[in-house]
Amino acid sequence: MDRECVLLLPSVCEVLADSGRSVPDDTSLEKLLDWFTGLTEAGGSLLEACPCLLKFISTVVHNTASDPGVLSFTLRLTGLMAATEDGFKMLQEQSVLNQVFDLQHWQEAGLWDDPCLRIGWIQGLRSMLQHPKALSFFVQSDFIASLLQLQTDTSLFVASAANHMLAHILLFFQKVSSAGSNGINNKEEDERRIHHSVTDLESPAVTMETSEEYSAVVKGISEYLKESLIPKENTKLHQSLQILKLLALLLAQAGPPLRDKLLQTVTDSLEELVTAGCSQLTLPLMDVVLAANSSCGPDGRVPDQRVTRLLSSMLTISRPADLIHAAAALLSRGHHDTVHTARAVRILLLPLDIITGLTLLGTNTAADEHQVSVVEQLKSKTSCISMTCVCLTNTPQITLTPSGVLPCPPVLIVTAVVSLLRISSGISSSSFAGCSEVCRNVIGSGKVQKCALDALTALNSSPGAKEKISEVFTILIQYLNNPDSDPTVLHKSYQAFIKWIGVCTDLSLITDQLRQDLVEVVKKRACDMRWEVRDSTVEFLGHLAGVHVSVTSGEDLCDASEALLGGCCATPLLKEALQDTESYVRASAISALAKTLTHSWQQGAALTQDQTEIVSRLLEILSQDTEGFPRRAVVQYFISWFLSHSSLSPPSSSTPSTSFLMQCVRTVLSQGSADLDWEVKVHTLELAELLLDQAFSAHRGYRKGSDAHRALQHPYGVVSDQAYTLHTHPGTHTEGVQSELAHVVELGVFSALLSGLVDCDRPVGLKACRLLIILRETICPLSLGALDVTAAMATVSCELLGRGWGKEITKILGMESDRASEVDISAQRSFSGADGRGDSVTVSVCEVLRSLDLDERLDVLTQSSDHIHNSPLSLLQDILTASAAHTHPDTKPGHEVIVDCY
Amino acid sequence: MKLYCLSGHPTLPCNVLKFKSTTIMLDCGLDTTSVLNFLPLPLVHSPRLSKLPSWVSKDGTINLEKELKECAGRVFVDSQPEFCLPERELLDLSTIDVILISNYHCMMALPYITEHTGFTGTVYATEPTLQIGRLLMEELVNFMERVPKAQSATCWKNKEIQRMLPGPLKDAVDVWTWKRSYSMQEVNSALSKVQLVGYSQKVELFGAVQVSPLSSGYSLGSSNWIIQSHHEKVAYVSGSSLLTTHPQPMDQSSLKNSDVLILTGLTQMPTANPDGMLGEFCSNLAMTIRAGGNVLVPCYSSGVIYDLLECLYQFIESANLGTTPFYFISPVANSSLEFSQIFAEWLCHNKQSKVYLPEPPFPHAELIQTNKLKHYPSIHGDFSSEFRQPCVVFTGHPSLRFGDVVHFMELWGKSSLNTIIFTEPDFSYLDALAPYQPLAMKCVYCPIDTRLNFHQVSKLLKEVQPLHVVCPEQYTQPPLTQSHRSDLMLELQPPPMPYRRCSVLNLPFRRRYERVYILPELANSLVPSEIKPGVSMATVSAVLHSKDNKHTLQSVPKPPPAPPSKKRKRVMEEPPVVLAPKPLLSGAVPLEAFLVTLQKAEDTLIQLEEDGTHIVCDNNEPLRTTLRDLVLRFLQKL
Repeated sequence: MDRECVLLLPSVCEVLADSGRSVPDDTSLEKLLDWFTGLTEAGGSLLEACPCLLKFISTVVHNTASDPGVLSFTLRLTGLMAATEDGFKMLQEQSVLNQVFDLQHWQEAGLWDDPCLRIGWIQGLRSMLQHPKALSFFVQSDFIASLLQLQTDTSLFVASAANHMLAHILLFFQKVSSAGSNGINNKEEDERRIHHSVTDLESPAVTMETSEEYSAVVKGISEYLKESLIPKENTKLHQSLQILKLLALLLAQAGPPLRDKLLQTVTDSLEELVTAGCSQLTLPLMDVVLAANSSCGPDGRVPDQRVTRLLSSMLTISRPADLIHAAAALLSRGHHDTVHTARAVRILLLPLDIITGLTLLGTNTAADEHQVSVVEQLKSKTSCISMTCVCLTNTPQITLTPSGVLPCPPVLIVTAVVSLLRISSGISSSSFAGCSEVCRNVIGSGKVQKCALDALTALNSSPGAKEKISEVFTILIQYLNNPDSDPTVLHKSYQAFIKWIGVCTDLSLITDQLRQDLVEVVKKRACDMRWEVRDSTVEFLGHLAGVHVSVTSGEDLCDASEALLGGCCATPLLKEALQDTESYVRASAISALAKTLTHSWQQGAALTQDQTEIVSRLLEILSQDTEGFPRRAVVQYFISWFLSHSSLSPPSSSTPSTSFLMQCVRTVLSQGSADLDWEVKVHTLELAELLLDQAFSAHRGYRKGSDAHRALQHPYGVVSDQAYTLHTHPGTHTEGVQSELAHVVELGVFSALLSGLVDCDRPVGLKACRLLIILRETICPLSLGALDVTAAMATVSCELLGRGWGKEITKILGMESDRASEVDISAQRSFSGADGRGDSVTVSVCEVLRSLDLDERLDVLTQSSDHIHNSPLSLLQDILTASAAHTHPDTKPGHEVIVDCY
Repeated sequence: MKLYCLSGHPTLPCNVLKFKSTTIMLDCGLDTTSVLNFLPLPLVHSPRLSKLPSWVSKDGTINLEKELKECAGRVFVDSQPEFCLPERELLDLSTIDVILISNYHCMMALPYITEHTGFTGTVYATEPTLQIGRLLMEELVNFMERVPKAQSATCWKNKEIQRMLPGPLKDAVDVWTWKRSYSMQEVNSALSKVQLVGYSQKVELFGAVQVSPLSSGYSLGSSNWIIQSHHEKVAYVSGSSLLTTHPQPMDQSSLKNSDVLILTGLTQMPTANPDGMLGEFCSNLAMTIRAGGNVLVPCYSSGVIYDLLECLYQFIESANLGTTPFYFISPVANSSLEFSQIFAEWLCHNKQSKVYLPEPPFPHAELIQTNKLKHYPSIHGDFSSEFRQPCVVFTGHPSLRFGDVVHFMELWGKSSLNTIIFTEPDFSYLDALAPYQPLAMKCVYCPIDTRLNFHQVSKLLKEVQPLHVVCPEQYTQPPLTQSHRSDLMLELQPPPMPYRRCSVLNLPFRRRYERVYILPELANSLVPSEIKPGVSMATVSAVLHSKDNKHTLQSVPKPPPAPPSKKRKRVMEEPPVVLAPKPLLSGAVPLEAFLVTLQKAEDTLIQLEEDGTHIVCDNNEPLRTTLRDLVLRFLQKL
């Protein structure tokens, strides 16, 4: 522990113990506790390190006027300190434990009503219960009854904490009881030992003594479970709910002896509960039943017949809405048992069967005696929509079940979803067989449409889906064309389209009519009134360009946009979208254009007139757009152009398109690094990084920026995770490197890096700093062998302007004093609006790199900006300062608030 | 109470309500779909139309060379277009006391009724309804009179011949009653009979009933009507809307507790949501303009066009259409745009408040100021010199049979770059386009009908709780083309009473009361005695005076003082033979039991005649015998 902290701690304890003084805010206690927990986990003993804590605890406990927050903190702190056996022993010797956890004491003091204290009590005990001694203490103090009572506490947090505490006791000490139990063969015991050694690393040493205590606890809890599981009256539902949650928690993790014991106790009650059919309890009950079933699985043991029967009866409860939720729960929890899965699948498919009139369940529906009640339920609009949505959400899962389980071929489910989409959009069909009274509930329902589209999207990979491609595209185009589709529905339709195009190996499946319809609808949606729709449309065009398909089977791949839209549709629409009034649409259009053009860039095709126009429009956006998103997208556009281009041709080759690209890159670097948006600047630095990679990747000692700092990524930093594949070229002559450096400097890479370095946004500074370090290590390493290189490099220089970042850099380089007078003049000049170019300084690149003290700067930048304010020391100081401020006689009330609201 | 249904068109209704002693016509809509059977009237000579072949029946026996022309496989009447009028044979229209108009679309048959049937009553309408209705009639007359056609085809109407005709002509009904357009003089005369009313203003009709218009939210000045006597209430719901477009919002609460609700004017496009259609309209418009084409919007000169212009006002900036000219061509374009700005009190709150800023309530004023929207009375004159393409043209008539739109159809129909966007729901776009086939122009159908849809109307009815609902039969079953859409019909309990053209419905009323006034002096003379807390009774002898459907109880006039008798003394000598007036009833009425029977209010009839007495008492034999015994006892006493 920090020495300074140790010195401060006693006075902090004093502040906390003094009920007259207050702490800065309630999070500071939590932070303090976090710090102590960290110390304990690191293996230190709190009592040894800070003996003052003991005094603190006994003072606080005896002062009933203490703030409940501080009391709660004290309880938890005590638990933390008693978590080790030594700590426990010491605390008990001082008879602190009995006082701290003495329920009666708190109740008499009237403090028990505060939920804050109750939760502190539970959490304190929970931290303490890490060893058998603690368990003995727990049992002897007879806390179990109180804890069970807290399980139904009025405060949800307390109730949940109590639940977790109960589970913790039973699960943590369960090895104790297994040691005492007999009649298990060796093999199983071995397995269990392995199992336990994995899960319960910190399991305490077992003694027979604790085993008895543990049995007492188990007995107490299971008695309680058995008695209270069935709600006596409707108001007691809460208790049953809590118990079911606890049971699910226990059964999922308990080892066989405990699990068997629990099941033996509660199965009767569970059976009764299932029969009672209380719909609020259906889902938690299902969780318990599934946990009971699956926990039997891994041992290779057949689950108890009664447990299996429970599951069967869960799947025959009478209320259709509950039943469908139970079935969905079974499917989503990944239960693998053919009989029940098949049953669940039938339950889930029934509403779809009824609405669409498709015989998904085969003709033998007599088995589904609840069909009538389901139809009744579906006639009410709200329950119809919710049940249909549950079905739809589960359809992808259903198609994944083994074919023996499925009552129909998976492709029929795709048909059903398509048909539901058709019904829901109100498209009439004469050969319609579904129940019309039910159907009208789903007509026009946006919720059903969204769920069905999601389901359809996920169904693209189901077996036999290919047969349905044409049908799917027809309905999707109808949805895209429907004037009443809301923006989300349209967006989902586009997504589904992209997914399904992905499985379509052969575009000849899509008729010319469909293609024509698609072109028309995309053109129309690109002019939609709602910007969300225009945005989705533009995005769709981009995604479509990214999908590769073959026009007819066996032919070469081409991008889907060209194949479907005929090539002449996408680019003009996207060009138009660059003028959109909504910045998101402009940004999406730029990225979509990049995706659309990638193919032609990769082929090295010469730039068309159209593309040149686009580029000049993009540069215009970069310099003039008032919103950040389009400007970010522009930089990304040039990044992907540069990437596609450099993967193709060596950088030195000077085709017209290369020189045009480089000319643009220069503009992007200078404008992007001067942007107001930090993300634009970071993207610009990424472009700079690519240029560095290209220039020096062949040079020995060059680490690619992307390799060097991937591990160090800061959460706020935006670094794309694309893997760059750059063209490398052989030969590492000094002159080569020198000319490369000169080239890079001339392009403005170095200026961009330097301006990034002094940027006020940390991610920008960090990125620039890292790149500069890499550059320094490449061109002027501090090793002797590289001296010749360095000497040669010294000749490469760059210009620092006498204003803005240039001035900052000059200041850092310490050239300020020499040129103070000149800088003053330049400042005056720039003030008067004159061009500051005349005051620029020319410096050697190497010299700059060496003198900037980049490593120290990197250290500063790497630390997160609040590191100073987050240390334990500052926390302790804060507490002291706040209390001082409060006790200061001059302090006016409300001062604290002013301090808080900077 | 009876309802005579003179029109079968659900959105262009014409019904007559006989209520108490009044005869009230509810709306007089003109079914203009009949004009679709006629050839368009071109503004300038059209070689294409004039060269159309005459229709000859297959066997060659019928040859109406001058009357019927064939175009793209369909037969059209080559004559001045004619309209299908409301039924005039069902009842004597001269007996109509008043006509209530709900909105300007539902008054287009007014001149036919007021000028040619001997009508002598009054027409009630709101001011915007009258003014915009006048504009629409003026426009119609103008469209017709601008291109006079000498001939009037009548031969094809011969029943024998009509039966032989193909297609829709054969099935056209009542063709003999179809009439040509009225003249401006008739319009003026008809409109002179209109008396203006304001929302919620109560108008007494002969003291028998009171009528009052309520805002219906559909168009400027559009109204629903409440027709009520003291004890009965009939609500007439015509074109209404819950959308927050320009008009004042619909007044729903006043419709509550009506005995009968006559429901007409629901949306003609139940599957087309107006918002979606508006979006469709804008995107198709933008798409066409971007591709360098022109957009033609056939529309009425008032109504949805205000909303379209407002929507475009916001849209043109975002779609970069700022430089595209918008033209509005109609003989009444100027008045329509200006009228809309001055009816502030009839607008929705949002627009009303703009007037106080002061700002024009509709943004089309700004479009005109900035020269983005230009309006012309016709394609002749200034328009031709300023016409610039690509552009957007709003013009009538939506049937494409007359008006300036005919010219643009001929002009732009051949290019696939151009688009025609239908926004009015009154005409089937395929029928409207039939005489222009083959057509290269793109067609987009986005009918914008803001009237109530079935979902909204069922919600409304649930709230206002009428005892009975009367509606056109079309509303009681799903649309023919979408028979599975059971959500597109009215489902009510009790089921609505359907009507069709020429139906006469007896409207059910369970009970009739009448209000009678007691003159103050008579009331003063009454001596009520409280027979139960809150219930007092008094016997009244009075004279019932009825005039103008108003009933008043007056004191019995004192008998004129007896003429002075000449006999003096003798009188005293002979005591009068006249017995002291005998009370008719004596004894006490058992109060509680009596009140119970009063409240039970069973219909019992005691008929006293010279030679017999009948006691009629439905299904209550004990009561009947008791009454009989009582009556017998009294009779014996007398």
